[in-house]
Amino acid sequence: MIVGITTITVSVLVNQVTKETFSKNNPGLDAVVGAKGSPLQLILSSIHHIDIPTGNISYQNALKIIKHPAIKSATPISLGDNFQNFRIVGTNKSFLRLYKADLISGTTWSKPMQAVIGYNVSKITKLKINKFFVGSHGLIDTGDVHAEQPYKVVGVLKKTGTILDNLILTSLDSVWNLHSVTNKDKLEITSLLLKYKNKTSSFSFPRLINKGTNLQAASPSFEISKLLKLTGNAHRIVDYLSVLIIILSFLGILFTLLNNINERKYDLAILRTLGFSRWKLFSIILSEGMIISILGSTIGLIFGYIVYESMYYFSIVGRSMELGQLNFLNDLFLIWIIVNIIAFITCLIPCIKVYKQNIRSILLNS
Amino acid sequence: MFICEDISFDIDGQKLFSNINLNLKPQKDLLITGPSGIGKTTLLSILCGIQKPTTGKITYNSIDLYNLPENKIDEFRGKNLGIVFQNFNLINTFTVKQNIEIALSAIDTKKSIPFFNLLDRVGLANKSHIKVANLSIGEKQRLAVARAFVGDPKWVFCDEPTSSLDDKNANIIAHLIKEESLRCKASLILITHDNRIQSLINFSNILKLGEEL
Repeated sequence: MIVGITTITVSVLVNQVTKETFSKNNPGLDAVVGAKGSPLQLILSSIHHIDIPTGNISYQNALKIIKHPAIKSATPISLGDNFQNFRIVGTNKSFLRLYKADLISGTTWSKPMQAVIGYNVSKITKLKINKFFVGSHGLIDTGDVHAEQPYKVVGVLKKTGTILDNLILTSLDSVWNLHSVTNKDKLEITSLLLKYKNKTSSFSFPRLINKGTNLQAASPSFEISKLLKLTGNAHRIVDYLSVLIIILSFLGILFTLLNNINERKYDLAILRTLGFSRWKLFSIILSEGMIISILGSTIGLIFGYIVYESMYYFSIVGRSMELGQLNFLNDLFLIWIIVNIIAFITCLIPCIKVYKQNIRSILLNS
Repeated sequence: MFICEDISFDIDGQKLFSNINLNLKPQKDLLITGPSGIGKTTLLSILCGIQKPTTGKITYNSIDLYNLPENKIDEFRGKNLGIVFQNFNLINTFTVKQNIEIALSAIDTKKSIPFFNLLDRVGLANKSHIKVANLSIGEKQRLAVARAFVGDPKWVFCDEPTSSLDDKNANIIAHLIKEESLRCKASLILITHDNRIQSLINFSNILKLGEEL
């Protein structure tokens, strides 16, 4: 039972937190424009920061898109480096407005090589205002660092419960300087995060980009719903497996109790001779079964939560997933209630057997 | 007052015994004797509410035992009757003390029982934490007696309490049962085919089961 409940708890938590995280990480963006490739990869890398980018695009081309009449706001981002696995994002200050980010301390960057760090970055790396750090090449920590050009922390952001908590923000100039790009025509960014003036552009604008340029425009809501559909099937398989394990655990409880009362039928008959009524024995056996069930299901829930938390702490992917409100508690409580109701019904079978026992024949046969 | 009227019992249509009539006043003792296989143990089960008779009525102080719902019969037995079974019917996996405690919990009494005194009287005070499976026959018999008297019953039934014991131990057990029944002011109903018991305890009433048939 513990295994079954643990599995289903992890499945529920991962499912809910994934949905919640994907939803919270997107601050109402309508499209992401980037290099051609997988649109899902572009969305995951540019908004959720859990995949590698599809490539870079020309900043000059990006500026043309920014000026397009259909665009309400456009935020360029440039990825490529990290500090202790936290991604360093070159962007402009509209990124902070996008996530409605506030500072706990310090200010935003005013010149290259200044950085504003997210809440979790500050907590885990212990970076503080006026401290310096050096970025590593790539999106995961490889040890290959830009030692000659350290960043200076100038601001720490308040907790937002979004991916912003796990990012290090700096100006686009910082990224370009660090990679020695001086020719304005050769400046590149990873992608553009866009909001439309009018939602009707959702159909025309991506077509314009995808067919008329060597770039691609991807819709975050469309790509993430496709992804959730795919992972939803995997979750369903895990859920079915968990239900199977739980059913087996019910059978386990049933046969354990039946075997138990068969082994103890003489002792139970003695208890009747001492004055224990049928109902008293009925309630004792029921209590034994329910204690196993309640303990098993509760330990399963706790283990499930611990497994989930372990995933959160030990996985780079998991780190960007964070529990928001405790909405998942309702689902887990419902599972706990259903499991224990079924266990109660299962336990009635051995209880009825005990209730119907003929103590005279048991004592004689013993 | 303990009254049995026209008790009979059939097994597969064959009469085991019939027309058993008893009338036992408070604190009076009764010896039920008879040859093996005559149905003494079955009669004890009937008198204790464990086995319903084919016909007849059993009343304890005007309470018609088999007129009570089955759960109430169990509770009545726990609160008013003490039983020493022939094969003891102790819980072997429990210790001496646990066997007494479980009997107490069945009674649902709030009164505190001096365990040490009770076990001391039956000579098991120093064995309270030993499992029943590790006791000798004589010790098991004494524990069964102690358990029967734990709730100060008004009627105590003993089934062949000395049959598997030598003369010395039979004497100890017989006197123990008599002393405890006097202490509880209980009526003692002893069923046996062991002739030694009659010389050990003076019974005011004797029922010879074979002759009643």
